[in-house]
Amino acid sequence: MAHRALDRMLDAIEGDGRLDRPGHRLEQGLAFTENLLGVTRGRARGLLHGVWLGHPVHPFLTDVPIGSWTMALVLDLTGQKRAARTAVGVGLAGALAAAVTGLHDWQYTHDNARRVGLVHGTLNALALGLYGWSWWQRGRERHLRGLLAALLGYPLIMVSGYLGGALTYNHRIGVDQTDRRLEPRRFTRVLAERDLTDGRPHRARAGGVDVVLVRSDGRIHALEDACPHLGGPLSQGWLRDGSITCPWHGSAFELHSGESLNGPAVAAAPCFQTRVRDGWIEVRRAPTVVGAPPGSTLVHQQEVRP
Amino acid sequence: MRRRPQVLTEVREAPAPPEREKATRVLVEHHEVLRGLMRRLLETPRSEPGRRRALADELFDELRMHEMIEEDVFYPAMRDVTPGIAAAWSEHRQLSDQLAALVRADPRSGRFDRELGVMHDALESHAHLDEERQMFPEIERFADEDLLVELGDRLRDRLARLRSSRRTRTLLRLQRALLRLTAR
Repeated sequence: MAHRALDRMLDAIEGDGRLDRPGHRLEQGLAFTENLLGVTRGRARGLLHGVWLGHPVHPFLTDVPIGSWTMALVLDLTGQKRAARTAVGVGLAGALAAAVTGLHDWQYTHDNARRVGLVHGTLNALALGLYGWSWWQRGRERHLRGLLAALLGYPLIMVSGYLGGALTYNHRIGVDQTDRRLEPRRFTRVLAERDLTDGRPHRARAGGVDVVLVRSDGRIHALEDACPHLGGPLSQGWLRDGSITCPWHGSAFELHSGESLNGPAVAAAPCFQTRVRDGWIEVRRAPTVVGAPPGSTLVHQQEVRP
Repeated sequence: MRRRPQVLTEVREAPAPPEREKATRVLVEHHEVLRGLMRRLLETPRSEPGRRRALADELFDELRMHEMIEEDVFYPAMRDVTPGIAAAWSEHRQLSDQLAALVRADPRSGRFDRELGVMHDALESHAHLDEERQMFPEIERFADEDLLVELGDRLRDRLARLRSSRRTRTLLRLQRALLRLTAR
């Protein structure tokens, strides 16, 4: 059975601790490069993660090399050599873009996913090398060599594509990891109002869900206490300029809307409506589908007594 | 040429205490060194940019060495004891990023104060909220005591060697210089 063999391969990769040291070295190199280029604190950070899209950019960029290189194979078989070279070239450009975004996402992963990601990236780098060589050889009219390199590279991207899928479907990388239940639907008491200090996040429990409460600019905000990226505890994070930052990977979220500002979290943190009754803070889940336009009182119901 | 201020943390010259300690204890002690540096940075006014810069450099080196000993010695050994290691590792990345932002900021500017504030919060989140309050108690409950004492020796040893290593010092200084050079 194919899935048994694939599972065994995945298990072998996930259980291999030898991958950790090179993985961390690579990450440190990436971190230093990104800090030098100003990516960490700049707009490029969210751009590469796909915050502007609300969805990771890397997975759909990988369609470009896979599609182009499949096309190159078809064109090779039908004898259209120049068109095949163009297809290989387009694939190369797509693969480079996928490599940059993929590395950018990979550096914020944990444990097993990190190991799988490292193998996935290594296979892709090999395939990229083979296709680069193929493109160069085709340019020198050595089409047979170009074809051979492509035939070697193609299975590599298939296997690595499978590993990339495992990262999403098994490890939920790039998937919104928050608890998307509807509870609590009614306003639920979570904390005495006087216990919530200014400018410091506070964790509380609201009907089976952990929420983080923040008092900022005279308003009380409540977000789910799990980062949409990998479930980091936002209540241990820090507050700046109306946003809260996850301590694990530095995703910042706007307090009043939960929108991600920089990534690696690309989904918004779920928000709760808050009000104060009889000295108690009460929260309920903000409806996910709201008829009223955003910014209306229904979304930001707020009653804070002086 | 402007003379560099003398080394500001006396800990370097302090002789190692003779009794052996658990790894968690060694790390908490080093957290205290980092906190002390942070306190002195926060107390130094904007009118003393030279001292601010020297302290920021010192924090950069000391914190990076802290990350190195944890990542090379402590975390790999504790992998199976607590599930929190991967997150702690990620928090180191946040600290490194914030250190980079701090050394890139002009010590005379308001930006330096802001980055310093975030640095303080990030350090407290990692050292206090995560490690000292959650991870270390868990490790002390579940890990073998002899192993922890042995790791403690190795951590202290490693830290002393890193501090006196010319190679490490040069590497860290080079990193700081490059980060400052590319700052905007």
